[in-house]
Amino acid sequence: MLFQKEYSFRGSHVDKVNKLTSQFDSSASAKLFNRNIDVYILAPIIGFLYGRRAEIDKSGGETTKIFPEQLIREQTYLKYNYQLIMLLDKKREPSFDERENKAFRNYGNNSEETLSDELSYEKYVLGGIDVLYEKLIENANSPEDYITKLYDFMEEFNERYNEDISDEKILDLCALARN
Amino acid sequence: MLLKTLKLINFRQFSGEQNIEFATDSVKNVTVVMGENGSGKTTLAQAFTWCLYGDTDFEDKVVANRALERKLMPGGELQVKVELNLVHSGTEYTVIREQLYRKDLTGRTKGQNTTFNIAYKKDGQQEFVRALEVDAYMKQILPKELSRYFFFDGERIGNMSKEIKKGKSQDFAQAVRGLLGLNAFISALEHLKPTSKYGVIGSYNESYDSKSDKRIAQYTEDIQMAQDNIERIDKRLLEITSEMEIAQDNCDDLNVKLSGMAETERLQKDKLRLSETLTKTRQARASSMSAILKQFNTNNSSYFAKSLIFKSLENLSQESKLDKGIPDMHARTIEFLIKRGFCVCGTKVEFGKETYNNLNKALEYLPPQSIGTSINQFVIESELKTKSSSDLFESIADQYKVLRDYENQIEQLISDILAIEKIVEGKKGIGNLQQDLWRYEKVIRDLTAERDESNRKKGAHETTRDRLITERAELTLRDENNKKIEIYKAYAQYMFDELSRVYKKNEEETRRKLERYVNEIFKSIYEGGMSINVDERYNIQVIVEDEGGYSNDVETSTAQSISVIFAFISGIIKMARENSLELESETKLLESEPYPLVMDAPLSAFDRRRIKTVCDALPKIAEQVIIFIKDTDGELAEENMGAKVGKRYLFEKKNEFETKLVAR
Repeated sequence: MLFQKEYSFRGSHVDKVNKLTSQFDSSASAKLFNRNIDVYILAPIIGFLYGRRAEIDKSGGETTKIFPEQLIREQTYLKYNYQLIMLLDKKREPSFDERENKAFRNYGNNSEETLSDELSYEKYVLGGIDVLYEKLIENANSPEDYITKLYDFMEEFNERYNEDISDEKILDLCALARN
Repeated sequence: MLLKTLKLINFRQFSGEQNIEFATDSVKNVTVVMGENGSGKTTLAQAFTWCLYGDTDFEDKVVANRALERKLMPGGELQVKVELNLVHSGTEYTVIREQLYRKDLTGRTKGQNTTFNIAYKKDGQQEFVRALEVDAYMKQILPKELSRYFFFDGERIGNMSKEIKKGKSQDFAQAVRGLLGLNAFISALEHLKPTSKYGVIGSYNESYDSKSDKRIAQYTEDIQMAQDNIERIDKRLLEITSEMEIAQDNCDDLNVKLSGMAETERLQKDKLRLSETLTKTRQARASSMSAILKQFNTNNSSYFAKSLIFKSLENLSQESKLDKGIPDMHARTIEFLIKRGFCVCGTKVEFGKETYNNLNKALEYLPPQSIGTSINQFVIESELKTKSSSDLFESIADQYKVLRDYENQIEQLISDILAIEKIVEGKKGIGNLQQDLWRYEKVIRDLTAERDESNRKKGAHETTRDRLITERAELTLRDENNKKIEIYKAYAQYMFDELSRVYKKNEEETRRKLERYVNEIFKSIYEGGMSINVDERYNIQVIVEDEGGYSNDVETSTAQSISVIFAFISGIIKMARENSLELESETKLLESEPYPLVMDAPLSAFDRRRIKTVCDALPKIAEQVIIFIKDTDGELAEENMGAKVGKRYLFEKKNEFETKLVAR
């Protein structure tokens, strides 16, 4: 079952996660992500939205880890994101009923289907890391560069996905879905 | 004076023997020597000064060719020689200066004293001027203090214009007068001068017969003593004037430097302030950067997931309309009804019947088999996330704007600081300026006091002298012999007064004429409401004439300064030339010689249009023009003076130590 045992990034993703979580300006002690798990929480959403999946890179023995206690502490976030992706991944499963089952009924039941869902989720995690690395780290040489890239990414993301969605609309839908 | 040829032997980069012949033709009177920078133009110009006066403007006073000097064996010798052939007052002179360099056994080369000779042709025979007389001869041909106006350097023109405008010595005025042909007057006046013991009147004073009255001798002695005192004071007064001018110049310089230093100090303070602001702004930028990252790091996933949440809820809310679940009912309720055998409404529930099947189907939509609870949980979570989320992009964008402001400020600050550093650079270490200024100010105060005191004393001596002269005259008239002398003296005095009057008139006329010429020439090369004023000491002032008739001495720009110098020199040459042409006329009281104009890089400070006017004007004004010029200006000069150019030379630079002069 996901989010229970220690998670290790491997291969090319080790370097990327390390760079995403390292200080780039000594005076400001500035970091894009405080911890590995912060990357791990956000990456699948980015991977899914940008349609980027990546295979687990098994080359090289180096790893960077997330400890189980951290995973368990952030369980709610992780599970919620997992459910979002399962609910919306029409490419893997066209039927909404089935996706609903993947998201809510099958979560963590260790069936073969669920294990394959979890693997697919992980590929979005890794794809998301690739995107985050490209958008936030690549070719940046100074603290100013990092901040500029971050802003550009935020601006692009906002335009692409968030501009037309208001909190009110979401809350209305919540009311509708609950009755 | 006309320059005919110049011969250089091992003079600086001109190794071996090099000859140059100058255009002396009355129409084609221009010689152009062209060469790129560093090829030896200035050196050639300096060769004249070295030859005539034994001095150069070079920092390095060694005039021997460096390459040859290096090759010398210990004990070896190298001869440097410059020979200038010229015509002055109808006589042909050869001016020769030589210097021997010898390498000693330690390998050091030392230059011996220069030897200076002037040879001239008399009845076809060459004769040498006696060694003791060469300097006097040279002074007659061209006094050194004037030479720089005939051999001049365009690049050093700034200093010249300052010099030409103020604080020139009596020597200069004297030299100008001489050049303008007033020498005869000056000698005559000197000869008669009543205040001198050795003048005509002075010798009459000496020849009074004192036998008749011893008091006459006593009077003469006392008068002479008073006169000596007056002369001593006059001499001192002149010194005081020039000392005061020097001190005043120093004060002015120091004041400029001091105000520059006050400026520097202010800039340093500004820089400090800017640096502090820079540090603060950098800190602010760092914290604003941290703020952005902190925001990005906190709960970012709910912001990035927003579109996914929206879509999921959209799907779920559509689905929930089809939900067959009964609110608040649990599977246990149904199981209880089946077990009990009848429904809430009383209908019998029997295995295999429709009612039984319907109830069993309802189980699928009720917890725990139903996923409704999980969905509900999901929806609640979505609601919570949305309610607690802020617009991450908006707040990051706000912070980013602030950050950009800081960055712009930092950039501006850095460039301001750099600008200040550039200005301040090289202005350090002036030190002790204030003390120096006080010292010079005190000198001026002391000199002023001394001058006033001297003037008072002079007045007293003059009164005494005049009283003694009257008393002596009364005594001398009692003796026939002395009476005669008194009459001669009166004649001599009359002569002196008359000559002085004519001289003053002539001098005044000459000066006005010079002023007129200078102005004519100045206005032809520099346009724009300005004129030049020449005072008694031949100092020059540039005066702005405006419409209201108001005039004022003005600060001049480089181009103006050069124009002023050109005009001044040209004016003098033009007058000198006119005087020499008048030589034939019987009535002529003034005599003078034409002079050449030798110029190093004279056009570099002018623009194209002005070069043309200058090129037009010069060959007309001067009897002979010799220009050393860099190629670009040279082409322009030739273009504008083409018809007047008689000789052309080119510097062929082989290396730093070897340049050849070739005729073109």
